[in-house]
Amino acid sequence: MLENITTALAILFEPMRLLALFAGMLAGMVFGMLPGLGGVAAVSILLPFIYLMDSYSGLAMLLGAISVIYTADTITSVLLGAPGSPASAPTAIEGHALAKQGKASLALGVGFLASMVGGLFGALILSVAIPIAGPLVLALGTPELFMFALVGLCFAASMVGKDIVVGLAAACFGILLGVVGAAPAAANYRFIFGQSYLMDGLSLPIVALGLFAVAELIGMVAAGGGIASKSMAMGKWGESFREFWRSRWLIVRSSIIGIFGGFVPAVGASASTWIAYGHAMSSTKDKRRFGKGEIRGVAGAEGANNATVISDLVPTMLFSVPGGPAAAIFLGALFSFGFYPGPRMVSETPDLMYMIVWSVALASVMGAALCFAVTPYLARLTRINFALIAAPLLLIMVAGAYQGTQTFGDILALLVLGVIGWLMKNAGWPRAPVLVGFVLATPMEQYFWLTTQIHGFTWLTRPGVLLIASLIVVPMLLNLVRRWRSSKASTSADQAGSQPASDDDAPRDTAVLLLASALLLVTFAYAFYEMLGFRSNARLMPAVGIVPGLALSVYILGRQLNRLRWQGRIIHLGSRQELPVLAGILAYGVAMWLIGFSLATPLLLAWLLLKCAGMRLASAALYGAIVYATAQGMFALMRLTPPSGIWFSLPMPW
Amino acid sequence: MFTKTHPLKTLPAAMLVAAGAIAATPALADDFYEGKTIEIVVPFGEGGATYVAAKFLEPFLEKHLPGSPRVDVQTRPGGGSILGANWFEQNAEPDGETILFTTSSTSNPYVLGMEAVEYDLAAMRPAYSLPFGAVIYVSPRTGIDSPAGLKEPDMPLIYGGIAAAASDLPTLLAFELLDLDIQTVLGFDGRGPARLSFERGETNIDFQFTPAYMSQVVDMVEAGSAVPIMTGGSVGEDGVLSARDAAFPDYPSVYEVYEELNGEAPSGVEWDAFQSIGAVTFNYGLTAYLPAGTPDEVLEIFEATIAAINDDPEYQQQSQDAVGGYSLLPASEVTESLSEALQPSDEVREHLRTLLSEEYDVDL
Repeated sequence: MLENITTALAILFEPMRLLALFAGMLAGMVFGMLPGLGGVAAVSILLPFIYLMDSYSGLAMLLGAISVIYTADTITSVLLGAPGSPASAPTAIEGHALAKQGKASLALGVGFLASMVGGLFGALILSVAIPIAGPLVLALGTPELFMFALVGLCFAASMVGKDIVVGLAAACFGILLGVVGAAPAAANYRFIFGQSYLMDGLSLPIVALGLFAVAELIGMVAAGGGIASKSMAMGKWGESFREFWRSRWLIVRSSIIGIFGGFVPAVGASASTWIAYGHAMSSTKDKRRFGKGEIRGVAGAEGANNATVISDLVPTMLFSVPGGPAAAIFLGALFSFGFYPGPRMVSETPDLMYMIVWSVALASVMGAALCFAVTPYLARLTRINFALIAAPLLLIMVAGAYQGTQTFGDILALLVLGVIGWLMKNAGWPRAPVLVGFVLATPMEQYFWLTTQIHGFTWLTRPGVLLIASLIVVPMLLNLVRRWRSSKASTSADQAGSQPASDDDAPRDTAVLLLASALLLVTFAYAFYEMLGFRSNARLMPAVGIVPGLALSVYILGRQLNRLRWQGRIIHLGSRQELPVLAGILAYGVAMWLIGFSLATPLLLAWLLLKCAGMRLASAALYGAIVYATAQGMFALMRLTPPSGIWFSLPMPW
Repeated sequence: MFTKTHPLKTLPAAMLVAAGAIAATPALADDFYEGKTIEIVVPFGEGGATYVAAKFLEPFLEKHLPGSPRVDVQTRPGGGSILGANWFEQNAEPDGETILFTTSSTSNPYVLGMEAVEYDLAAMRPAYSLPFGAVIYVSPRTGIDSPAGLKEPDMPLIYGGIAAAASDLPTLLAFELLDLDIQTVLGFDGRGPARLSFERGETNIDFQFTPAYMSQVVDMVEAGSAVPIMTGGSVGEDGVLSARDAAFPDYPSVYEVYEELNGEAPSGVEWDAFQSIGAVTFNYGLTAYLPAGTPDEVLEIFEATIAAINDDPEYQQQSQDAVGGYSLLPASEVTESLSEALQPSDEVREHLRTLLSEEYDVDL
């Protein structure tokens, strides 16, 4: 075995292979940093290139990308407050709050280091795949997989900030988005409105991009100036190393949670990140800083998501069942190179296995180092006028979304979700629970039906199920006990501390809030009506989202109307000045539909650069041309034809 | 039958070539594809079995097609392959430069007449097929060690599948045909997860397509944790799905198992339904379709190319691991039989629709 480990290292240390690993890392970093885009986008863009190399180099390239995405996404999450990839939502909450307090370097440093540890733990579990990880994967039956998804959802929904009603409604809305498409238990299509585009459901990158990235982009373009209104104080790295050391055991435990997340197909990083975040919360005595910049939240989440994406490779390598979407593409690459994953492959080609372990380990460490190195430069970018960054960012988002099915449905879905995200943002509603509800709805429903069909109701007594259930119940009980004790011992002073501020401390746009509440109610009411027509097996999971969602949205709207009567007026805030930008982006969508990407994009660039950024004509033309060429190049790179218009389309040379 | 290629019947072929020469720009077959790029549209995501098979065939097509074109595999996933196939129907020109490479996931909705289908698969011209056999196996805990044992298992049989109208359809039809008492648990999101469930002991009867069977189940059989029972079979000389699977000559086909259990050859609407769906799923499992109206010249080029690939020692060696060692079937062996399978009688279609909507609650 020791011999294989060193041979594998020698295999990897060919200059070409190291270069491939490094190139993959760079791609992974870029995609990790682009808001909303995660591993799938990076790996599928790299895929055509790996066939130009030998098998080890090609695989190293993919592994380089997979291993650093969840390290690099910390940068976006902390600096922008929009999750760099779907599973880093907790980092965006805690890390960005820290950044606003001038502690960006603390959040980033701990995030990088925790990601590194998570990656190394992932590498470790891969190296003991046959004796340890394999039996563990087989020990997790369908009921345990269901419980894992359920725990993830519970944790995410219960940690959504101060307004629990809105948080739960958001999670319900996420479930509603998640059940669009084919029902797993009955051959019933739900909420597809006769569109074959919706038959497979909405895709995660598009939901994440729409909810977060589009809304952030609109807000920032409208606000003018840089991402950070004033120069962002980075602080010193030193403190982050000390804090990392203080949280080391939390990071280790989170990485282990993350590893289990990787064993659960389809649930993956989105659940394990929240479970680790919840664990960070329950293992921290003073919970008051959670949601307002708690470094332990960052440490837990980042340790978990990177461990998950690496341990996704365990079921991939041992059972050829990919643990996550990026791992699925990696599996295809393995097949294409003539490797047929299975226990036999792992034991017969140990060189390959250890090459993978080394690639992951090396990329995790180098990725963290690289992130430390580039962050100071990226932090400066945050002061550039955002309209300049918005142009390429929007084009990348369009390209990323269009990669889904290469139909206009991708663009439309992106824009509709963008409007929803914008409404939620301006209403002050949390968007992370939507994402979690969306991601977990399908696996929860699927595993629930499989579980009840296979095991009847005996599954409730399985030890694994009870163990995972205790993850929900024990912290809840501890919390109750603690609260009971403190309420017995406490005085009113303590209560003021535990209830820091009322819901109204943040300025909100009541007009948008009213509109969003009304829309939410209408959506749930319609969904409820439509749901009545589903087959019984296809109705349960939508009902889990829709029934409470309907009740909650009635309450939210009622509460809002009541407040309105009390206040007697509608307050318009920032959203009004954002409306032209929103309209501009929607107009871009319409233009793309009519005259295609290639003609609509110059118009968008002209508007963004001249009108929004106030550039001079000459410099705008130059910069615009570069951005345009890059965007076209990106489509060519992904071997996609840009969306063509229904009226007219610019013929492309390729 | 897997390595044999029928030479094109000379006279009609010559006539069709003449017709094709008028319809398309005249070009010499030797360099037909010179400087051209063939786009192979796979209506599934990267990393799936169809994508992998298409990538595997890519270099062989590039090598053996006249004029050495570039072959480019493109994925267009969505709608359970329907979106990609619809796109192909609407956009592909019949010039031999765009090919739809797909599975029964595309043909089943077509055969069943589902609403979202906008493509006319039977009007397209198959260029070649790659058989995609499957083995049905059981857990030793069931006490079953031969096909006859399926009738009296030691414990209730539980089968894990994805969806009745998808790739599980032929297996479910086989269970129906053989009149087996099997509890079907649908909703897995792939054959891999279904197999994991079998390995965990949650289900006890399963099937895997040849590549996955080779890399995963063969070891389980050796270790005594799985017992192979039968294969879907392959289309024999007579055009009936009765022959044994070339990759598994030791295991009986569903046809043979029926004969063994019932003492007579299968017939009637249940058999026709199984044969129609089974042939498209197994024998013509992965089929490359050219758009309707593609000139015969192009098909002839493919006919010769497929024969050359089958003879390529490199293909013979590598196909063992990659696709189960099947030879490619040229159009002359595919067209007629596939066309029949894609257009079953109204009776068979009705039987399928009724079965799916009544037994499996499918909303057609």
